Amino acid sequence: MQWVQLVVLGLLLGGVYAMMASGLTLLFGVMRVVNLAHAAFILLAAYLTYTLFENVAMDPMISLVVTMPLMFGLGVVLYLILFPRLEASPRYVEMTVLLTFGLALIVEGMLTFVFTGIFRSVRPVYSSTAINLGEIFMPTSQFYASTISFGLLIVLWAVLRFTKTGTAIRATMQNRSAAQIVGVNVRRVSAISFGIGMALAGAAGSLLSFMFPFFPARHWQWVAILLALIVLGGMGSIKGAVIGALLLAIASAFVTDLFGPTWSPITFYLTLFLILMLKPEGLFGAKVRL
Amino acid sequence: MAVVERREDLLEEAPGRKPGSRSRRVTLILSLALVLLFPAIAYPVFDSYAYVLQIGMLILMWVAMSSSWNIIGGFAGYISLGHGLFYAIGGYSAGLALAHWGISPFLFLPLAGLAAMGVGFLAGLITLRTRGPAFIVATIAMLFLGLLTFDNWEFIGGTNGLDLPLFQFPIEFLKVPFYYAMALTAIGAVYLSYRVAHSKFGLGLRAISQDETKAEVAGINTRWYKVWAFALSAIFIGMAGAIYGYSLTHLRPLTFFAIAVAARMVLAAIIGGRGTVAGPVVGAILIIGVNEVAVRQMGESAINIVFTGLILVVTLLFFPEGIVGSLRKAGRLPAFLDWD
Amino acid sequence: MPLLEVDNVVVGYGAGPDILTGLSLNIEEGTAYCIVGPNGAGKSTLLRCIAGFLPPRVGEVRLDGARMNGSRPDQMLAAGVCFVPQDASLFPGMTVKENLVMGGYLIDDRSLLQERLETVYETFPVLAERKSQHAGTLSGGEQQMVTLGRALMIEPRMVMIDEPSLGLAPMIADQIFEKITGFKDLGITVVLVEQNAVKGLETVDWGFVLDLGCLEFEGPADGILADPRIRDLYLGKAMTPREGA
Repeated sequence: MQWVQLVVLGLLLGGVYAMMASGLTLLFGVMRVVNLAHAAFILLAAYLTYTLFENVAMDPMISLVVTMPLMFGLGVVLYLILFPRLEASPRYVEMTVLLTFGLALIVEGMLTFVFTGIFRSVRPVYSSTAINLGEIFMPTSQFYASTISFGLLIVLWAVLRFTKTGTAIRATMQNRSAAQIVGVNVRRVSAISFGIGMALAGAAGSLLSFMFPFFPARHWQWVAILLALIVLGGMGSIKGAVIGALLLAIASAFVTDLFGPTWSPITFYLTLFLILMLKPEGLFGAKVRL
Repeated sequence: MAVVERREDLLEEAPGRKPGSRSRRVTLILSLALVLLFPAIAYPVFDSYAYVLQIGMLILMWVAMSSSWNIIGGFAGYISLGHGLFYAIGGYSAGLALAHWGISPFLFLPLAGLAAMGVGFLAGLITLRTRGPAFIVATIAMLFLGLLTFDNWEFIGGTNGLDLPLFQFPIEFLKVPFYYAMALTAIGAVYLSYRVAHSKFGLGLRAISQDETKAEVAGINTRWYKVWAFALSAIFIGMAGAIYGYSLTHLRPLTFFAIAVAARMVLAAIIGGRGTVAGPVVGAILIIGVNEVAVRQMGESAINIVFTGLILVVTLLFFPEGIVGSLRKAGRLPAFLDWD
Repeated sequence: MPLLEVDNVVVGYGAGPDILTGLSLNIEEGTAYCIVGPNGAGKSTLLRCIAGFLPPRVGEVRLDGARMNGSRPDQMLAAGVCFVPQDASLFPGMTVKENLVMGGYLIDDRSLLQERLETVYETFPVLAERKSQHAGTLSGGEQQMVTLGRALMIEPRMVMIDEPSLGLAPMIADQIFEKITGFKDLGITVVLVEQNAVKGLETVDWGFVLDLGCLEFEGPADGILADPRIRDLYLGKAMTPREGA
């Protein structure tokens, strides 16, 4: 396949990955939380979108309007219930990882219970068409999904750059105690960041619902890839997550073309191990104070 | 062998060891007797003999696995979610030895453990270049890399798996050899955990888990300590995998690489008390026990998974030290559980 | 009424031992203080406790008579207590200007924020020069200026500075102490913790001598400097005159 085509396909997929990874790395940057449940919540949103599509014929892209605020609220509530208690613990990072691991199991179990393990997917009209730009073809669903993803990433950037809360979030990511000293309520910032991360997961879920078929246990594969992405880009660096996602998605497009689809996830893991051997803090990571 | 010599050096006794209390020795003898005589005792008592032995084998397996995991996850404080890889290495290496060379997994057992340890050592060299959360991610990637490799490897049967021939044995007592093999593995794992806990090596690991920078400054070669802990933690998990795989007579990658495996190991260690010797044992017994009851009542369903997750969350929020850890903190740890 | 009262406070980190073992002292508005004492006496711990990072295990911290125990650091700042800690408390990814603006985070009025920024630039011309430079690339002395400038943005009632001269060359340290004197002139209550006891006490009005988590002695700063018993017991080598000191 022509290399431009591969790059385009990579960018299309990469855009969605970038959005998913950004939410995850934001959570880490602000709260030092590795959210192993991120993909499980993405799936939750996907199932929600599926339900809306099946019952009310709501277009999955429209359902972003439902899933994003809902997941934002869920994020804030979950944060406030679960995390402040652990803040004082000296093993905070491990505890939160294990906590989110437990959350992931709970969400997966509930989804399996309600929806069983059958593959589901949302099939709006555009899920089987493609857009042709000259010689390049783009599956319509991926085109829409990545356009929305890039749009949301721009919104995220703008919020972080120009709003007072966004600035507070950035400050907290760079130096939590310094942020407290200048008057930032870091607990509030953490809760809002968790909400934002979850809202992005919600958007991702709605978009993924019509891009790939899904079943409850699928989230483990997603989270493994996302985690590899954020370690690659440097944990806590949104810029790193986006660039890492795009680069790896393009790389995996090439790998798929050359070796077949089963090898494409391996691209992510192998690249991760390569980076770990050469530059453990990731492309854009600082030597993290844990 | 240089390898063995070095380990002996590290396992030398840490100063200030507590004298063994009589209660501890009694417990030890009693529990060993119980474990070893169980098949004989159970035969006249239970109707579903095979089922009871199976449960016994499973409990012993999880005791072995969570005690092993505890070496890196509890003593050193490095949470690995990828230990299923070693489970698979053990299972497949023994299975292949059987399928291609006719060697019984029971004989191959120590080699399966060694194979797992070798992989553990190599994997540790790479993954332990990171700390904390990045390490956890690296182990997850390691697990999935392993799963993908095994799934796509024709030689070992790929996703469909590998069938294993079974030996001739009266059906009624078929589970007995598996039970004893697993018992040996569990005893070995707990013994290793005990020796590590009471050694200079174990002290160093604990120092690393408290404050790695200070440990480095104090002269501990943290990198080697961590890598060795990782490698040691793989041995008995590999052996458990060899026995379990054989008992299933069919090997599939997903059996070993499923996240549920990692989840159980971690959960058992945490509920029981991470960083203690008795904790993972207690935790494993509890988890399997409760799981069996749950499966009996509700069937192997999704509720099971929700339950596992819920218990993990609740334990982390309210009893992060686990049973043994919390009891010790409250000063109420009965002597028979105090193996540290 | 004193501005700040520390009343029989016992504090420690995490599950660790008590660092402050029943400390009481009063801070009067408009005065400048320096806390000195041997290592491990609890000087930094005291500041962190007042700032809201460490709740007291026993005892009270009162501001204008009101109990402030357990307040968060951002709440303490809103009440007028500004803390400049020992370690890097800058935002390394932000420019000098952005760091200063963050100092004014609690100020909602944009024009007031701008005014304050101008004042800080006047007081610290170095910062005006380097306003677009990334804070992580500044020298030690310049970074310290940024943290002081940031404190000035909010015009707090009280500023607590932990080891302002740490790691700085004597000449630069002198500049920092000059600036701190400037705070005093603005009527801001200053509380310093200083390892360089001589410089610290020379800059302030009143001194607290801490040891083993309690207040051993307090008095006018020059009195402490001159008192031979205090010098020998607590100020030790710091009293050896240095060139240019």
